[in-house]
Amino acid sequence: MESTQTTPLPGTAAGAVDEVDLTPVRTYWQLVRQRFVRHRLAVIAFFLMAILIAMALFIPLLSGDAWKETSLERINQPPSLTAPLGYDNLGINTFARLMKGLQTSLFIGFSAVVVIVMIGVTVGAMAGYFGGWADNALMRFVDIVLSIPTFFLILMLVAFWGTGNAWVIIIAIGLTGWTTAARLVRAEFLSLREADFVQAAKALGAGDRRIVVRHMIPSAMAPVVVAATLGIADSVVIEAALSFLGFGITPPEASLGNMLTKAQDYFYRDPLLAWYPGITLILVVLAASFLGDGLRDALDPRQRVEAN
Amino acid sequence: MARYVVRRLIQAIPIIIGISIIAFAIVHLAPGDPFDRFRSNKVSPEVIENLRRVYGLDQPLPVQFVKWFTTFWTFPWDSTAWGYSITDGLPVRDKIFERIPSTLQLMGTSLILTIIIAIPVGILGAVRQYSIADKTIAVITTIGYALPTFWLGIILRQIFAQQLDLFPLFGKHSFGKEGDVLDLLWHLFLPALTITIVGVAGWSRYMRASMLEVLRADYIRTAKAKGLASSRVIFKHALRNALIPIVTLLGLTIPTLLAGAAITEAVFSWPGLGFLGVSAVQERDYPVVLAFTMIGGAMVIIGNLLADVLYAVVDPRIKY
Repeated sequence: MESTQTTPLPGTAAGAVDEVDLTPVRTYWQLVRQRFVRHRLAVIAFFLMAILIAMALFIPLLSGDAWKETSLERINQPPSLTAPLGYDNLGINTFARLMKGLQTSLFIGFSAVVVIVMIGVTVGAMAGYFGGWADNALMRFVDIVLSIPTFFLILMLVAFWGTGNAWVIIIAIGLTGWTTAARLVRAEFLSLREADFVQAAKALGAGDRRIVVRHMIPSAMAPVVVAATLGIADSVVIEAALSFLGFGITPPEASLGNMLTKAQDYFYRDPLLAWYPGITLILVVLAASFLGDGLRDALDPRQRVEAN
Repeated sequence: MARYVVRRLIQAIPIIIGISIIAFAIVHLAPGDPFDRFRSNKVSPEVIENLRRVYGLDQPLPVQFVKWFTTFWTFPWDSTAWGYSITDGLPVRDKIFERIPSTLQLMGTSLILTIIIAIPVGILGAVRQYSIADKTIAVITTIGYALPTFWLGIILRQIFAQQLDLFPLFGKHSFGKEGDVLDLLWHLFLPALTITIVGVAGWSRYMRASMLEVLRADYIRTAKAKGLASSRVIFKHALRNALIPIVTLLGLTIPTLLAGAAITEAVFSWPGLGFLGVSAVQERDYPVVLAFTMIGGAMVIIGNLLADVLYAVVDPRIKY
């Protein structure tokens, strides 16, 4: 939070230059990029996330069915070039399986966040735009959802409505996680409603839907994007915990959580089996959190938290 | 203040009703029922029907709901108010009450350890901002914060219980050693360590942020300017104000105390409430699941109220 630095022109002594504002005019997105790039950890997190996504997308694609192919000859084979982490007790290529698990986890994490944003933005926009009793009713509903312990609610939804189904997990995380996004959007809307450009749109005769969708939602998205990025970390961990408890993705499908469950049974032969999915999970969480922090500083400087 | 508390409690009534409707709907509208696993050629359909009737599952849902919701609140004097468990036929209330001490032991220990460690660490980070100590703490707490609790539990158990064989794998007592305090502490160590590590990572960051906020205040500069010793400034002037948000955090932690450690309890088979909740979901034990959700909801409401009341108690500027 230092005052903006003024760089003296090359070849001139500092202070000798006239008081001319030499900073070029920058667009919003240029400013965003500039602020983001200055956040070193966020840039690293961005590349880490990109690498993780690329690996989760392409390695299972290139290695075909290696993530579930068992083989008697390969049981407990040590690491090799094609199997950097060796083979497990069924002769499955551990690395290929890890990447398939990462794919499942990232897919669930990102999809859940999409559901969270969709529900959250809709509820928050309605509450903030219409105000009055609609706002009251929706916010009381938010209070109710917030009052049920989240993980237990997800556990109930998944266990009773479709154990092992990725879509049920995505919807369960979405149905329980939207409250933060809704509150953020509502707060933005309450102030945006009085903003000049919204009043202008209204004066020009734009309908409610046009005002909300074209004018207000784009302006209210910054905090939502930040919350969504941080939400990826939560969703991925929740999926792993569900799978670990046996409610999530069940074998033969691969997920980071069910690889952990299996690792527990084979600890004596290969204690490292629990580390691979765990470290992968931590990398995803760290990447998402730092990316979220960087995006907060870049998109929404007002919300900047000095603490980090 | 009393009026404020009463008003908040009245506002909680619709929330409680809302929670109960949502929980009841999730449980009872779900496909299948708890007795599905008994269905086979060897069990006659009448037996299943009988079971359904005993547990009241044959009645229309609205009737079931009203009956369940109205009797639920008679629990202080009626041990059957929460119904009977489907897995073992015991009164749900007793099953839940008997788990409370274990959960309090685990979560109480972890919470106390968390506070004892996190507050000094947070103060150190704030007072020596950007020093090597602060940066080291920041790296450690960031990683700690990113650790999924259940994975940390698995790894600690793998290292200390399986590989080094220093601590027991699971449970609360060795066989035949119930009531032995040392044995209890020995079993408590790993699950409590798991929750404490994650807790310290979060709490120390809050503490540091809160302390930094206060250290920037004018009255701190005044205190320094009039020549007070820096230890006095930090502990007498800054710390007391920096603790205000932490007290609030304490209220918000109450609900997780009772239900939040479900996964850690499951990893270590610690016989607490959270573990009971997870197993009840696994067994489709509807009455236990519903009672557990209601208790969880009530805890959140009480915790929030407690946070606000404590806030007013420690900060005289706040008046309700």
